[in-house]
Amino acid sequence: MTTATADGPGVGPASEPSAGRGLDDGTLVVRARDGDVNAFEVLVQRYQSQMYRLAVRMLGNRGDAEDVVQEVFLAAWRRLPEIREGAALPGWLYRTTTNHCLNVLRARRPRAELDLDLTRSRSPEGEPERAAETAEQVRALTVALQQLTPEQRAAWLLREVHDRSYAEIAGILGVSATAVRGRIARSRVELAEAMQPWR
Amino acid sequence: MALSSRIGAHVLPCGRHVEDLWDTMGSAPDAHVQGCPHCRTALASLAALAEATRAVYDDESLTPPPTLTSRIMAAVRADVRRTSRLPLAAGEHGPVDISEQAVAAVLRFAADSVDGVRARRCRLHRLEDGSVRVDLSISVRFSGGTSVATGDVVRDRVRAVATAHVGLEVAGIDVEVEDVWDDET
Repeated sequence: MTTATADGPGVGPASEPSAGRGLDDGTLVVRARDGDVNAFEVLVQRYQSQMYRLAVRMLGNRGDAEDVVQEVFLAAWRRLPEIREGAALPGWLYRTTTNHCLNVLRARRPRAELDLDLTRSRSPEGEPERAAETAEQVRALTVALQQLTPEQRAAWLLREVHDRSYAEIAGILGVSATAVRGRIARSRVELAEAMQPWR
Repeated sequence: MALSSRIGAHVLPCGRHVEDLWDTMGSAPDAHVQGCPHCRTALASLAALAEATRAVYDDESLTPPPTLTSRIMAAVRADVRRTSRLPLAAGEHGPVDISEQAVAAVLRFAADSVDGVRARRCRLHRLEDGSVRVDLSISVRFSGGTSVATGDVVRDRVRAVATAHVGLEVAGIDVEVEDVWDDET
């Protein structure tokens, strides 16, 4: 790796294949649009984990999340001409993943199975009591998340776990930024209540 | 539970809004909050939520299975099987053709080998006489160097590879500098 490809924005980790490692999103998007499958594979490896995490927590199920992520990236490949710049790619992926998940949830029977192992979290080392307490809180949060409406859950996850802006979330969900703020505030209250009822 | 079903305002029995409590987290509680059991209980719940949220945010252990990339790429490659093909000069066993995308990949790789150059788009146009014109866009490292010279180097490198390695007759190569990058990006 040369200094030309040091840790800039949109530049991926060293685990990427050497062919495209360290190239910025913009270059990879243009190459992929040009039919370069290997460039696209680097983008897949760069963003699949984030989309997978969002989908798992939206759907509460790993198998469904895998299917959604696969569909999202195949759609990205086909619609590369619409993605003008590399900087637009993460936003496009978040929007498409969210909408795919919402579609899956609309089509699903109410109360699909929640993967039980999702309620576990990796315990930080040391402080075993504290770790157990945190693990218990994560378990409660995971269960409580599934009690929110899908739109509320999407707004909360995009904001609190994926750092998306209110404006971007508003664009994804097709509502105003004010509505997004209200939805997230309401979600927080419902989640906090479910974690440790205060009445 | 009854409280949170009231739209827009989650009011505790003491009259405080839960949303306001959330907004004040991190600063010192005021006199009311310090003495109010409702506020203190609600704050404890919000703190528990904040901690669980942080744990979920930091949780890198939820990773896709290693097979996911190959599943995605298999679907993508299946989608690619409609590439146009480029005839090469006839060999002793008759005409040969080669995927245009495969040639484009080789030519991009040739351009990449020039210091400070990243190939972007590469298009091949077949002319009537069988030769090929190449349109190549590149991004170059911003270093104050002369991009005209860089374009010449790229053109020479691409022509050499297209001719010697691929066996194309190259009528011309257009190199367009589409973007610049520096060591920060």
